[in-house]
Amino acid sequence: MLIAWRYRERDTIIQKLDPRARILFMLAMLFSIIQFWDLRVMLVFLGIAVFQYALAKLTWRETRRAWILISFIIFFMTFLTFLTGRGGVNYAYEEEHLIRRLGPVTVPLVGWELALNITAEKTVFAFSQMVRMYAISIMAITLPYTIDPSLYGVTFRGLGLPDKFAYAMDLAFRFVPTLGRDFTITMNSQRARGYEVEKVSGGLIAQIRRLAPLLVPVTINAIVGAEDIIDAMDLRAFAVGPRTWVHKLHYQPRDRALIALGVLVFVASTILAFMGVGNLWVPDALMHLASG
Amino acid sequence: MQNKAVKWFAVLLSIVVLLALASVLTQGDRIQGLAPIVVTAIGLIGVFIVYLITAESEAWEVGTREVVYMAIGAALYGVLNWIFNTIPMPSVSQVALRPSICIPIFFGFVFGPVVGFFTGAVGNILGDFLTGWGVYPAWDIGNGLIGMVPGLVLLFESKRRSLNFLTVVVAALTALTAAIIFISPEVPGPWTGEIEDFSFWAWAFLIGGVVVIVGRFVLEAGSVDLAAVNIWGTLGIIVGIGFASIADIWINGYSFATAIIGEFAPAAGPNILNSMILTPILLAAYNAVQERTGR
Repeated sequence: MLIAWRYRERDTIIQKLDPRARILFMLAMLFSIIQFWDLRVMLVFLGIAVFQYALAKLTWRETRRAWILISFIIFFMTFLTFLTGRGGVNYAYEEEHLIRRLGPVTVPLVGWELALNITAEKTVFAFSQMVRMYAISIMAITLPYTIDPSLYGVTFRGLGLPDKFAYAMDLAFRFVPTLGRDFTITMNSQRARGYEVEKVSGGLIAQIRRLAPLLVPVTINAIVGAEDIIDAMDLRAFAVGPRTWVHKLHYQPRDRALIALGVLVFVASTILAFMGVGNLWVPDALMHLASG
Repeated sequence: MQNKAVKWFAVLLSIVVLLALASVLTQGDRIQGLAPIVVTAIGLIGVFIVYLITAESEAWEVGTREVVYMAIGAALYGVLNWIFNTIPMPSVSQVALRPSICIPIFFGFVFGPVVGFFTGAVGNILGDFLTGWGVYPAWDIGNGLIGMVPGLVLLFESKRRSLNFLTVVVAALTALTAAIIFISPEVPGPWTGEIEDFSFWAWAFLIGGVVVIVGRFVLEAGSVDLAAVNIWGTLGIIVGIGFASIADIWINGYSFATAIIGEFAPAAGPNILNSMILTPILLAAYNAVQERTGR
């Protein structure tokens, strides 16, 4: 099994930016978005996210699988919140204007009565929630495709993570292909001995137990092999002094500009939210529908 | 290290105090957007308090061995997450086969809370990078907690003592929750918003608490290791997935019911089942290898 990173060298503006600046910008956007429920403000953030995504030049073909899954989750969770609605009622809006009431329907056996009140606020809240989730997802999904995995250790070191943790992160990325190969070898060896992972007979517990012959050898081999790595590192006096890194990151003016923009957006968002701007906005047309 | 921790603890405490002051001055109606920061800060302060109380324990030490196990744990968790998300696996009913969950629990339980946290958090980032799903900080921290909580077992003198402590905590929390519900059983329902009687849930909590405590002694009859890894692992999953699900109430605006029904239950249930079956097998294999190699 060949494990391939999603990252490709693309010669785009996004990839020329310092990964630290991009991570800081993403966090600033995340903490800014979650301060608003106004659909109009949310669309501005969605616009920024889409602009960033367009600059990354990602193709539908490479992101299709991730988008199908993310969209399914977003639609399912939005629908569930629309049915229950209490999250919105609790802090995004207090008053509701009924558009239509569906039900009540009596649940057989237990006798519970379920009804769905479709209100103007609940409907707009669902749309706002969907836009918010898409904006966050578009920002988040761009990172794996545009940040070089070999830069992660030095990136997080640059963001303030202690040397040991940054090194462990770097090491983890390097272990991935080896462990992928070990997994393939183990699976092929077990299959040669008659192991059938696809066998669907047996109960749930039996099926989970059936995965042990794959999981245990790969894990234990990795742990046993780790002893040699520990010895090698100790012999080279690991963690005795500060580390140096093969790759070095330097902030360019454009990176500083991106960080400043992120901080500015976050501060402005916090001040606006503090002043009460950006609460749930319900279009007049929906209010008319509710009153009519 | 400890000075640094105290410094950050003071910074976080100041932020929380300032936010609380802002909340009081504005009657709490203008800083709702900052709620996640407050909650995160309070959570971090909780972790710092646990750390400061137990700072002398070897469980928090990070040497060469821990660095390598952190890297291996994270890489394993990431690769297995990717493999079991990519290869179509058989599954029964709605319970997904997610065997990789035993990795952060095992690494936390055996190598300590720092290794466990790193394995869960960075392993989740790695898995999401391999599948191309993006980076979601709340879920990365949640996965980190899944590994960190079982590692707390190393803070106790023995595994049996850790189980005694957990039994007291479960009994106290169950009694407290049931008492709160019994005192005020009528609250707005999550589905209808109308006032409903929730006395039933007090009994459900009481029965659940008794089942957990009895379960501890039943498992302990088999082996203390088996009881400890299962109970600490289950607690880790509940805390980790619970954190991520509750965080999504603020991040994505879910209702409480959506967070529980749509995220917590489908994620925590299968994970607990997978962990309870596979982690003891992994632990037994590790103990056998350790005895053989003497390391």
